[in-house]
Amino acid sequence: MKPLRLAFAVATLVLPGPGSGAERTYTPGEPVRGTFDGFIQPFLDQHCLECHDDSVAKAGLNLLDLGPVDETNAAVWKSVWAQVSLREMPPGKRPRPEVIDRLQFTDWVVDALQEAMKDKGGFQAHLDPKKANFLEHDLLFRDPPAGIHLKPTSSPARLWRVTPQEHITRLNELINVEPPYNPAKPGLRTHGDAVPTNHGGELKLYFGTDNILRWEGGTVAYATAVKSVPAVLSLARKHGLKNYPGFYSVNSAEATQILGKAEDILQYMASGPLSLVGMPEQITDDPRTYDKVKPPGDLRGLPTAIVYSTKFLRPATPLLNLMKDDALPSDEALRATVDHLFEALAFRPPSTEEADEYIQLVRESIAKIGKTEGVFLGLSAIFLDRDALFRPELAETGEPDAHGRVMLRDWELGLAVNHALRYLKPDPALRAAIVGGKMRTREDVEREVTRMLRDDTIRKPRILQFFRDYFDHDLAGTICKDNRALAATGITARGDDHYLAMFDAAASTDRLIEIILKNDREVLKELLTTRQVVATETDRIYFGRKRTAQETKVAAAEHAKAEAATTAEEEAALSKIRAEIASIQIRSQETPGEPATAKSLDRRAKALDAEMKRILQQRKRRQQNAALEVAPASLSGPPTEARVSRPSFGSGSMKPERILATVPEGERLGILTHPSWLVSHSDAMDNHAIRRGIWIRERLLGGGIPDVPITVDAKLPDEPHNTLRERMRVTRENYCWSCHEKMDPLGLPFEIYNHAGLYRTTELDKPVDGRGEIKDSGDPALDGPVANAIEMIQKLAASERVEQVFVRHAFRFWMGRNETLNDAPVLQAAHRAYRDNGGSLNALITSLLTSDAFLYRVVDRKGSTDLTALRFPECADP
Amino acid sequence: MKNPLDRRSAIRCLAAGAGAVFGAATESAIPAPGSTSGGPRRIIFFLQNQGFDPATCVPAEMTGSGSLAGVKLPEPIQPLEAYKERLHIITGLHGLHTSPSHSAFFGALGGYRGGDGVPPSASTIDYELSKVLPETLLPHLCIGMDSMENMTAKPTIANLSASGAGQPIFMHSNPNHLYQMLYGGISEGEIRKQHEARTGLFERMEKLAAAKGNGLPAAEQPRYRGYVGGFHEINDLRGRLGGVSETLRKFAPAVDQRYTAPKFETDWHDVLLDLGLSALKSGLTSVLTIGSGRGEIFGSWKGLGIDQQGHNLGHMPQPDNPIWIKIRQYNSRMLVRLMEGLESVPEGNGTMMDHTLIVYTSNNADAQHTSGANWPVMLLGHCGGVFKSGRLTRLDGKRPINALYTTLLRSAGVRLDHFNLSAPMAAKFDSASGPLKEVLA
Repeated sequence: MKPLRLAFAVATLVLPGPGSGAERTYTPGEPVRGTFDGFIQPFLDQHCLECHDDSVAKAGLNLLDLGPVDETNAAVWKSVWAQVSLREMPPGKRPRPEVIDRLQFTDWVVDALQEAMKDKGGFQAHLDPKKANFLEHDLLFRDPPAGIHLKPTSSPARLWRVTPQEHITRLNELINVEPPYNPAKPGLRTHGDAVPTNHGGELKLYFGTDNILRWEGGTVAYATAVKSVPAVLSLARKHGLKNYPGFYSVNSAEATQILGKAEDILQYMASGPLSLVGMPEQITDDPRTYDKVKPPGDLRGLPTAIVYSTKFLRPATPLLNLMKDDALPSDEALRATVDHLFEALAFRPPSTEEADEYIQLVRESIAKIGKTEGVFLGLSAIFLDRDALFRPELAETGEPDAHGRVMLRDWELGLAVNHALRYLKPDPALRAAIVGGKMRTREDVEREVTRMLRDDTIRKPRILQFFRDYFDHDLAGTICKDNRALAATGITARGDDHYLAMFDAAASTDRLIEIILKNDREVLKELLTTRQVVATETDRIYFGRKRTAQETKVAAAEHAKAEAATTAEEEAALSKIRAEIASIQIRSQETPGEPATAKSLDRRAKALDAEMKRILQQRKRRQQNAALEVAPASLSGPPTEARVSRPSFGSGSMKPERILATVPEGERLGILTHPSWLVSHSDAMDNHAIRRGIWIRERLLGGGIPDVPITVDAKLPDEPHNTLRERMRVTRENYCWSCHEKMDPLGLPFEIYNHAGLYRTTELDKPVDGRGEIKDSGDPALDGPVANAIEMIQKLAASERVEQVFVRHAFRFWMGRNETLNDAPVLQAAHRAYRDNGGSLNALITSLLTSDAFLYRVVDRKGSTDLTALRFPECADP
Repeated sequence: MKNPLDRRSAIRCLAAGAGAVFGAATESAIPAPGSTSGGPRRIIFFLQNQGFDPATCVPAEMTGSGSLAGVKLPEPIQPLEAYKERLHIITGLHGLHTSPSHSAFFGALGGYRGGDGVPPSASTIDYELSKVLPETLLPHLCIGMDSMENMTAKPTIANLSASGAGQPIFMHSNPNHLYQMLYGGISEGEIRKQHEARTGLFERMEKLAAAKGNGLPAAEQPRYRGYVGGFHEINDLRGRLGGVSETLRKFAPAVDQRYTAPKFETDWHDVLLDLGLSALKSGLTSVLTIGSGRGEIFGSWKGLGIDQQGHNLGHMPQPDNPIWIKIRQYNSRMLVRLMEGLESVPEGNGTMMDHTLIVYTSNNADAQHTSGANWPVMLLGHCGGVFKSGRLTRLDGKRPINALYTTLLRSAGVRLDHFNLSAPMAAKFDSASGPLKEVLA
């Protein structure tokens, strides 16, 4: 964090005026020493007022009397900051400010906004990942202009709150045993992988499903009867990077919910399925024994509908020993339990003082409410320990170097490395390195990172999370579709089929990413241009092509013909079955009193009846699934798997089976043409060309887009007979176009797909228009018109700039902050490592994790207060 | 960084999320009579699962909209006959966009697509109202009624209410736990011990959390203060409840055998309702959400002599069905108990009920398997003439349930045109903008 300076109020050193020709220097992160009158006003005079004074006031903006930053004009200043940072202003033909002038001007504005808004909610826009591209790309990847002096980089000391995913994974470890990594089926979810969202897209913790032998009722009955709890920590961000350290805290609602659920978890750890059932007889290896005593009536949806096996399938923990009888726990047993639980939740052993504190808490609880409840209540406090919910990077023990930076060490460094790749606690080798004093140097980090990256049995779900944050391909199932609009795309809009297909699609795309990462060659290029897909059977439709009206007519005729033939065959078979059933009925009547014959006939009649139902069901399904408007993709290839959730919906749960197939040439190219990505960037009714364009601009080109002005009524006309491109004419109006030209021409090439992600050659019965343009990319070789998304992706995938922008995003994900100019050497080294190793993500990650930005912290405790003496002034005592 | 949790939102979050008791405030926790005027001061949502067939609430002789005076209410809601001057039956809202078949889950009160296992995509109307209605100690309380087995095995569950995207709010189904949460401070025996154990734990946790925050970088402290403040708020509320213990004592229901040895699940349903009502009467909460069937497609009412269990009930036609008549009458009697209970407490120049609105509907629109084309609702209460009452309104199926929620927020002073509907969704699913003129007087 930069020290704040009241630069607009008092100056200790007045800068030469902008562009004055005097020798100028600039060190990023150093306070800007200049007054409003001496530096800022002259900058405005020179670069802004010609168009934005009271006589011209272009776009209705008059900066003549703007004055120093204050609470009332902060919104205007924020806009000025954005426009100048993005080099939108002064506009193209006007003389541009010198780089140093521009950087000092924008730094000054940020400092002043922080100071002016510190009691009004603060100013953090410059720290938001959406604004990270406001820093000019070329300054990061080229030699800095004369006068810019970089200083050794570091990150601020900080606390990271765990994400819902991390939290659920820790809790899951306490109650479920996940299967070990299976090299023969590397795509199956295994120990150490993320806990996937369920059939409905919800992140939940499931109790005891591995023990379930039988349940009554269908999918919904199963989901209702099984005990599960949702994640309670918040994650408000939907798009882009979600886990900067400063995004979240833990509020009181979350704390109380965590406490309540902790008791459920502890009970399950101690008693297993016995804590889930209505009757102890439900726990048996022979469900028939339960049938003798189970409650009468319809049990569907009730806990009593489930039979659990007696197998011990949960993790064995010291809590079992503690709760094995009614005796008061010994100090030894209690300490073992506290130590185990603390390390399981905080990923490090407790200090003696911490353990003593929790032991005392448990003892006090036992004294008040007895052993069983007291143990559970007392231990549940550990779930709320600071280090169970936050991961500290405070660098409290090291010595500052010459630049005031302190290197992380021991547990903090070990957990930082662990967190970069994993959701589980450190594996034994990393733990041994931490405990043995071998996590203190850059070389230590390189050794551990290299080891972990090489070992497939050590799962690294954080890497996949980076790609989810980067591509945003996992949002498709959450895009609520209008049923009629969905049906018009050619796919089935029946029930939740589409949403289930989209959750499957996200898991499939995840798996494809993993396959590409396994090869670790030209990773970004491969992701953008592969024709391989991981697919389910349903994907034959989603990766298919929407037929033209004429083709649909032909297909319908052919289908009717084929259907007639199939139906005739089925009817013949059905007639035979019916005849045989009738004959059995006659024989039954003719041979009364012969139990063996009657039983045999009854069995045959039942089998025939089942066969008849199967044929009719098959016909119904065939007719329902006849996607006449779609030419299915021909997908075939070797089997693979996708990581799907624990059974959450009985037999309707997500299935892992997939194939690795190749999609038709010319129709698809890389992840950006997968339904998972396309639907994630669509809305209820149609494609979302603007969102797609923003994605390309920000994530591939490294461009920034200012916030939408509040005066904009961003609404496209509702014209069902016009294409999206035609309806987007409103964005081409002057006022809108200065921003929209950065996104629309990059999003419209994806119009060759409809909003369910199907490829199409026509739209509203006219040839589809996929034209677009790459403009002002920063790389003249990239700029120019494109015929469609495929051509655009091919150009982008070959660009070095795009690769560098990818590196910038990786930096943000693994450092948990936006890059600054001081990070330029880190970014360049990371890109070099990626490039020198043939596009290796592992090399890129290793470079980042051994960089100064990752290893060093700067601690600013100025203004730090004693929280134990904290008074909440607004909470006056009653 | 900005402290993400200001005091008031912390209170809202805590109370809504866990129902843990907590204190905003002051004497105003027990609302001062006549301290506000116009609009509701409290709202109750009652959602019966399996759908609400309009034929079970619309008087047979009424073919259009009109006054309920002079007509007889259908048998299922007959217990409301004496209260029909404050009843407004509304049919013809829709929830086509909520996927209500089997249950819209969070979408029922959120007005967005829901489903089994689907997380909330935004906050729900009950939570939003709890933020703007007159402040109480516990702004939002959710209770859920289900089979005995489910309420025992899963005493808290979140299916209907949410404070934001991915932020479910739990319903309470074990009346013993809920009693301890609300009235632990004035209770005796085991409940008292449990209460004290938890109080001790939270106090210790606050100290521990604060100690681990000392020496944090200054930039981290505001955010960390939210975490420490969470414990502080919990402890603060426990203290504040102690401060109003005389009032609580006046309204706290007596714990009897139905709590500890229920014969049927309906014993727990009844005492859960008592607890919800007492929380309203004592001024602990301003919004009560009741999920009969807990937002799912099961549920059990053996205490009414109904042997069939949840799912099959949903497959039965509701009109003229003796089973559904029993359930709906049971609901109606509960509504009457709520009204009578609130009428017994003076407020301003009238009673609490004069400032209360009850919204009765289903989380499944009109039936278990439904497109949501018709989503019947009954409103009870007129809040001093703010809401129309004593009538049946048949809408044309072009306005979504979101429009009703917009109306409720408008009545509470919030200016908005659409609740939880983006402009494209509103263009598709709402024929108008703003509140339902047919509802506001």
